[in-house]
Amino acid sequence: MATAKTRTSSFSRNFSTAVASLGSGLKCGPNGTVFVSSGIPDLDKILGGGFSLGSLVMVMEDAEAPHHMLLLRNFMAQGLVHSQPLLYASPARDPRGFLGTLPSPAASKDDKSREPDPDQEKDLRIAWQYKKYFGENQLNFDGQRDGKHEYSNEFDLRKPLERHLINARCIDCVSIQDSSDLSTLQDRCATFLSQLPRNDGSICCAGRIAIQSFCAPHCAHSNMEWEMLSFIRSLKSMVRSSNSVAVITFPPSLLSPSLCKRWQHMADTLLSVKAIQDEDKELAQLLTGYQDMVGFLNVHKVVRFNTQVPLILEATTFSIKLQKRRYLVLECLNQAPVDGSSGTSYGMSGSCSKTGNLDF
Amino acid sequence: MAKSICTALREGALEGELAPALTIKDSIASPFGLQVFDHVLSQLFSSILAGKSPSQGLILVSFSRSPSFYLELLKNKGISVASSDKRIQILDCYNDPLGWKDQLVEISSTVTVFREVKHMDKLFNSIIELGRGLVGGGKIRFSISIDSVDEMLRWASVSSVARLLSNLRSHEQISSIFWLLHSDLHKARVTAVLEYLSSMVASLEPSHQLANGQRGDLENFALIEHNSKNGKFHVRFKKRNGRVRVMSEEVHMEQSGINFTPLSSEGAINQGLVPKVQFNLQLSEKERIDKANVVLPFEHQGDNGKPLQIYDGRRSLVDSKQERAVAVEKEESDSQRGEIIYYRDSDDEMPDSDEDPDDDLDI
Repeated sequence: MATAKTRTSSFSRNFSTAVASLGSGLKCGPNGTVFVSSGIPDLDKILGGGFSLGSLVMVMEDAEAPHHMLLLRNFMAQGLVHSQPLLYASPARDPRGFLGTLPSPAASKDDKSREPDPDQEKDLRIAWQYKKYFGENQLNFDGQRDGKHEYSNEFDLRKPLERHLINARCIDCVSIQDSSDLSTLQDRCATFLSQLPRNDGSICCAGRIAIQSFCAPHCAHSNMEWEMLSFIRSLKSMVRSSNSVAVITFPPSLLSPSLCKRWQHMADTLLSVKAIQDEDKELAQLLTGYQDMVGFLNVHKVVRFNTQVPLILEATTFSIKLQKRRYLVLECLNQAPVDGSSGTSYGMSGSCSKTGNLDF
Repeated sequence: MAKSICTALREGALEGELAPALTIKDSIASPFGLQVFDHVLSQLFSSILAGKSPSQGLILVSFSRSPSFYLELLKNKGISVASSDKRIQILDCYNDPLGWKDQLVEISSTVTVFREVKHMDKLFNSIIELGRGLVGGGKIRFSISIDSVDEMLRWASVSSVARLLSNLRSHEQISSIFWLLHSDLHKARVTAVLEYLSSMVASLEPSHQLANGQRGDLENFALIEHNSKNGKFHVRFKKRNGRVRVMSEEVHMEQSGINFTPLSSEGAINQGLVPKVQFNLQLSEKERIDKANVVLPFEHQGDNGKPLQIYDGRRSLVDSKQERAVAVEKEESDSQRGEIIYYRDSDDEMPDSDEDPDDDLDI
């Protein structure tokens, strides 16, 4: 029998049998897809479950802020917690050094106070944007709460990942700085993915590929535009026919506009991170919680396999906050009433092309 | 802002972090980059000499100006190079960059000639060697300043220059690094690459933007002249927490050197993100004039200290002018006896109306 069909309704079946046939860290999604967690529970919720197995995720960096590193760290750490094989490529001379900065899962759930303050509920509250209050009451859709088999972990960015997880044999690191062509990287990816073929049977284990700052200027291949594009295309096809997820981050400001567009189209799921200006009085007036924000995350495209129905998000811009400087949290933006007639360009002046569109 | 830059460079890198890197960017419209570079150089070097910095020495890689210029410059600033021989070394890529000359007269012991500018890895090695020779090996740090990255980009490709700079930044003995760039000499991508590699970007812009067609106009001469001595200095800091700090100052060129002053006028730096709000709280000029012309009802007349002239809204302004003189006299004579205190119920209340105000209630 094929894997059990899942329906996206509020009536949920007890999935204990279905989950057992999948390895740890995997979850069934709609239309026969399987999800792996991105390492950020909020991002999993936004994307409708996580990163789909077989998809290529691309993250557009902002040259002025290192937020893409936060996403990569959580992604890689989540994979190591579930003992999923990992291939990490970066332009540094010694990529292994980055593994030392991976976060560890948070100690206990009591630390983070996400429950609403009980005192508040006594008085009458008029909610300006009522939808944001619904999230507090939603049940966690992860079925099982067992510590080991938890699908997605909250990571504590101040605590480094345990040594034995970093030294595991399933981690492969590649430096892309010196190779003049991308054939070495391509071969390593091919070898890695050949261990994770996709069959019709149950999936025992999924792999993760993380490529950081792919077109960084100090890499020898950074001006070989067509080679980079064809590498991405071949990686996408290899990932599609295997049980893995690949995340590539790149700084779009260093690419020609046409190449940047081509890369964006290549991506199955496309995210971008943006820096936020410090002490910006206008932004502080416009957004609540501005003081805690470190950046913005935009979701441009979300992959949907085996269906023609696209995923349309209510909001595509989220603020990145570090709760207690430890936990990465993504929140919807709350803002003042906006003139609806202004259409898609919310009062953008041409000179500030770095800030981009804020879509509430 | 210039102070904050110098402070950031002076403080250098924390353990395990990349060294702070500054790009000084200018263009033909505001060509003060070299002066700003000199300013930052002398500030950093004096802090190194004074022992205020974890960096123990400074390596200056000079491409666009002769090393003797820099020795003169430091002498003029009151920093004697002779006694500070052990703190600064200049890598001379100006006199014989491609190794064409057979022999060169040695200028001083602080200057080392470099002859192979086409090879970035050899340049890297020379810089590190010179630095180690200056401060010793181990964990002792030194700072680097590169006269002009433009010259480097003439000889080598963007990616090799980028590799040199990023390797310098990640070297454990380097405390801070800064370089100068003339942005209009290169394609936009090159500037983007250098900004990507730096943690602070200082750019110089003219105080008054001139449209290209206006260059020859006599009226704009004053502006052009102003631009030749003054400009705006913008800095973008990439902070550790991922936020970007944007600051601005005005810069003035004087005989004695360069001067930084805070911005005199309000400038809207970041307008991009603020969407239009439904409520327009600002008044345009026409609206302001109209507002001043509105005659206020009873209770607000006399607010601005003018003598009280009662206008009860019944008659038009023209007619009541004759009435006013009478009214004023009456008012003065009445002031002894009593006052009329009137609280208006609503603005659209018709005076002496016979209608029942409760009529429009819809129950």
